[in-house]
Amino acid sequence: MNGAEQVAIEARKQDIRSRWLLSAPALVIIFVAAIGPLFVMLLYSFMVKGDYGDVKPWEFSLDGWTSVFFQRDIFDDTLGLADAHISIIWRSIQLSFFTTILTLILGFPTAYFIATRPPHTREIWVFLVTIPFWTNLLIRTFAMQQVIRNEGLLNNALIWLGIIKSPLQIIYTDTANLLGMTYVYLPLMVLPLYASIEKLDFRLVEAGYDLYATRFQVLRKIVIPLVKPGIIAGSILVFIPSLGAYVIPRVLGGGKNMMLGNLIEMQFGAGRNWPLGAAMSITLMIIVMVALIVYVRNASRGGSGHV
Amino acid sequence: MTESRTTAAHGGAIGLHGIKKWFGNFQAVDNVTLDIRPNEFFTLLGPSGCGKTTLLRMIAGFEMPTEGQVLLDGSDISGLLPNQRPVNTVFQNYALFPHLTVAENIGFGLKMLGRPKAEITSVVNDMLKLVHLDGRGHNPVTQLSGGQQQRVALARALAPRPKVLLLDEPLSALDLKLRKSMQIELKRLQLETGITFVFVTHDQEEALTMSDRIAVMSAGTVRQVGSPWDIYDRPAERFVADFIGETNFLSADVVSVADNRARVRLSSGAEISASFPADVTPNGSVTVVVRPEHARAGAPTGTSALRGVVHDIVYLGTDTHVHVRLDDGTAFMVRQQNARSGHCGFSKGDTVGIDFSDDVAQILRD
Repeated sequence: MNGAEQVAIEARKQDIRSRWLLSAPALVIIFVAAIGPLFVMLLYSFMVKGDYGDVKPWEFSLDGWTSVFFQRDIFDDTLGLADAHISIIWRSIQLSFFTTILTLILGFPTAYFIATRPPHTREIWVFLVTIPFWTNLLIRTFAMQQVIRNEGLLNNALIWLGIIKSPLQIIYTDTANLLGMTYVYLPLMVLPLYASIEKLDFRLVEAGYDLYATRFQVLRKIVIPLVKPGIIAGSILVFIPSLGAYVIPRVLGGGKNMMLGNLIEMQFGAGRNWPLGAAMSITLMIIVMVALIVYVRNASRGGSGHV
Repeated sequence: MTESRTTAAHGGAIGLHGIKKWFGNFQAVDNVTLDIRPNEFFTLLGPSGCGKTTLLRMIAGFEMPTEGQVLLDGSDISGLLPNQRPVNTVFQNYALFPHLTVAENIGFGLKMLGRPKAEITSVVNDMLKLVHLDGRGHNPVTQLSGGQQQRVALARALAPRPKVLLLDEPLSALDLKLRKSMQIELKRLQLETGITFVFVTHDQEEALTMSDRIAVMSAGTVRQVGSPWDIYDRPAERFVADFIGETNFLSADVVSVADNRARVRLSSGAEISASFPADVTPNGSVTVVVRPEHARAGAPTGTSALRGVVHDIVYLGTDTHVHVRLDDGTAFMVRQQNARSGHCGFSKGDTVGIDFSDDVAQILRD
């Protein structure tokens, strides 16, 4: 082994060392802020619940996990399905799904409109879309409540116009949850869609028209396949927070129309069942992960049409 | 398929009648009237911003004329949308659909027209052969080279068998060698398909090589329409003479006009014969143009048309440019072909006489 080789090896070692050093802050954040808490939650979900909340340290049990989907009969101690939990989980998935669809239907034309304005006006429109973020979520949700409650803006207006005689019961229903979430999460759909559509080469749209495609065919065969990354990003950004929504169902859905977020909160609060809360949180994460994998797989397949 | 394509003539005739186009306060096209014949290779030639692409986009239907009519085979198509016109475009940067394969790109138009699958497959295969891309149908277009993408764009536009094919500077993104071979390729495709080609370019050489007829445009107007020979040898005005090739401008006085020839007296006192545009009758003082390759420099004699002093000699390999300062101060260039190896026979400061071949001088309008 000669000197030059030795120097090269030394330099490579140095290089590896400095690479680790440089990525250390990121690694610390990932471990302390993301993986650490997750691990704590996983640990808590397998412990025995404390009498006044918290857990009995280092006493392990599967009760937390079994009570996510099952409940013990108070009389004969047999396990039955926890209908309440399952219906809340199912409602959360359904509402999040429809919220995603609704924001996509409303957000796509909005984003397309913005992306086809002259460049300097685009910025103004994007700015307008982000304005709701300036207001606290809670306040926006209460504002929504004022609009849709029985003596609210919408019902009063409809009654005044003579379209309906008695107020529509919107508040404290799933419709209220859906409306609230669609309103709150719409910008999260519009922005990634806009970013994608803005990059679209509109000469391709012209080429489509030139090759005898109708407006609808241009949209379906050219625009949508090409802005698919934006559709995927927007859907993910809307679906995930929808699934864990807490404030919106609390204010607009009332007690009857709980979602997963409220159920989890209950376990850490009044329910005093931290292991169950932890197990539910992880269940939520698993649902999100499965949904993402299924969605992204389906979306990236069939990327090209067939002639 | 190929046989019917070569025999049948599909080309449509395009009529542009009194076309004006305004974009806000800017007038892109000013009162253009043109008739493009069926099956011809017609070129719109001009510098950038002259309105040639706008004119093409109006034939395609992407722009509506502010005034005037676009006719296809005699019927007004001004009101039709691009997808209702039997006209296809080859875009400047190809505009291939990046999410589709080569075959899917080529078949796109036919698919949108609702043609049966079997027909689409067979036309796509014919097209792949026509543009020498056999077996590449399943490749993603993003993996092709520039020249191959160009040919896919051509095949895609030709597949629906349009009456007119519009080409918007399709060769400008290619390197010189590829551009030369694509020029020949385009001409072959035009002859084989019998489709009317309307070609937009700012490259005069491209225009002269491929076109049956050329319209030279400037500032939204058509300056001259004619065959490559007309445009090059019989320019009607200064812009056309200057834009296409290199040329010498001489001032002269008209002595007499007979039939379609005029006798003019040059500043040197020599009289030569010159042609002139059909729509003018030259008189008084005029400008005459002579192409550098139509002039010969030699030892000054009593009969030389012009006399001057050589002030620069530029050797170009195939040719030598001899720059002469004429006795009246005008600059004049002679292009000599280097038929023999070695020196061109002149040195700076030599006094030379210049003569023209017959029938090469042209009087410009106004």
